[in-house]
Amino acid sequence: MRGLSFALVALLFGGIAEAAPKIVPARLETVLGAIRKPGARAVLVNVWATWCEPCREEMPDIVRAYRAHKARGLRLVLVSSDDEEKQAEAEKFLASQGVDVDSFLKVGDDNDFINGLEPRWSGALPASFLYDGRGHLLAFWQRPITHRELTAKLTEALKRRNK
Amino acid sequence: MKTATIVSAFVLFSHAALALADDAKPLALGSPAPQATAKLKNPADGKTITIADAKGPKGTLVVFTCNDCPFAKAWEQRIVELSNTYAKKGIGVVLINANDPSIAKSDTPDLIKARHQERAMSVPYVIDENQTVAKAFGASKTPEAFLFDKAGKLTYHGTIDDNHKEPDKVSKRYLKDALEAVSNGKAPAATETKSMGCGIKFKKVS
Repeated sequence: MRGLSFALVALLFGGIAEAAPKIVPARLETVLGAIRKPGARAVLVNVWATWCEPCREEMPDIVRAYRAHKARGLRLVLVSSDDEEKQAEAEKFLASQGVDVDSFLKVGDDNDFINGLEPRWSGALPASFLYDGRGHLLAFWQRPITHRELTAKLTEALKRRNK
Repeated sequence: MKTATIVSAFVLFSHAALALADDAKPLALGSPAPQATAKLKNPADGKTITIADAKGPKGTLVVFTCNDCPFAKAWEQRIVELSNTYAKKGIGVVLINANDPSIAKSDTPDLIKARHQERAMSVPYVIDENQTVAKAFGASKTPEAFLFDKAGKLTYHGTIDDNHKEPDKVSKRYLKDALEAVSNGKAPAATETKSMGCGIKFKKVS
């Protein structure tokens, strides 16, 4: 009985941990590592912030599109550009969206992060980036994205053979 | 033949579909200010002004900003101080709000006028109503600064400094250094810098 309770508690906490993953403070190299890590056919990166209303508005569509394409090899990488003291607030928001993926909070110089991720990106939020399984950029948006256009791009990207 | 055409069309379409969706290029260094004669509404006095009207003898600073973006707000006092200071040193300044007020509720003419008064701006804070100026500049976020030299060529494009949050911990005063250089007839050391910012709220195309 005690063993069972322990197992239940572990399961419960395990379940919670999976539903609301901690956001990891990360520099550019860590984010690039998550993009280039083998095992995905395509990788969608979304840079957002709790203070950014359009980012919060598009998040349900991002998560919905991810869930619809996850089984076909899509990886989602979320990067919050909130200040470090807003980490708990960012985690709370992602938990409310049911996010269960790698999630980061950008630390370090903005200029280096922006240019290191994509030189054509101005730093405007929200921003989304779609890569193939080898980390080659296929599409990028420095504005809110619609579910329809995201789905179209994801479908194309997942059809592609990685070169 | 028909099959070949269909296949080619499909390949073409696939490639087009995978082309980068957003490739709006910002104004290149060395370019003159575009849309310099576009009339911009100045809610403070109810008149209109153009970038050409605002041109200063030593150079011209155009900053796209807004009332509500946390980054624009964090930098607002520094933007106003730099504007007021360098306006006295021969730099013409115009602060432009290009947000669609139907999306960004804080960016109505009345609220822009109020902000102009609250912040004691000595320079115009105007509205790019149909967003043609922001688009011509390739501006994408707030705040975003474009500094033109005495000859009218873009000589600095980017952010204000390297710490929006803590003004006393700034180590690189990009815009101030560029203004100082240009007002002395020199070229800025840093010419293109970036920071995170709020995407300009462009009108939704239906």
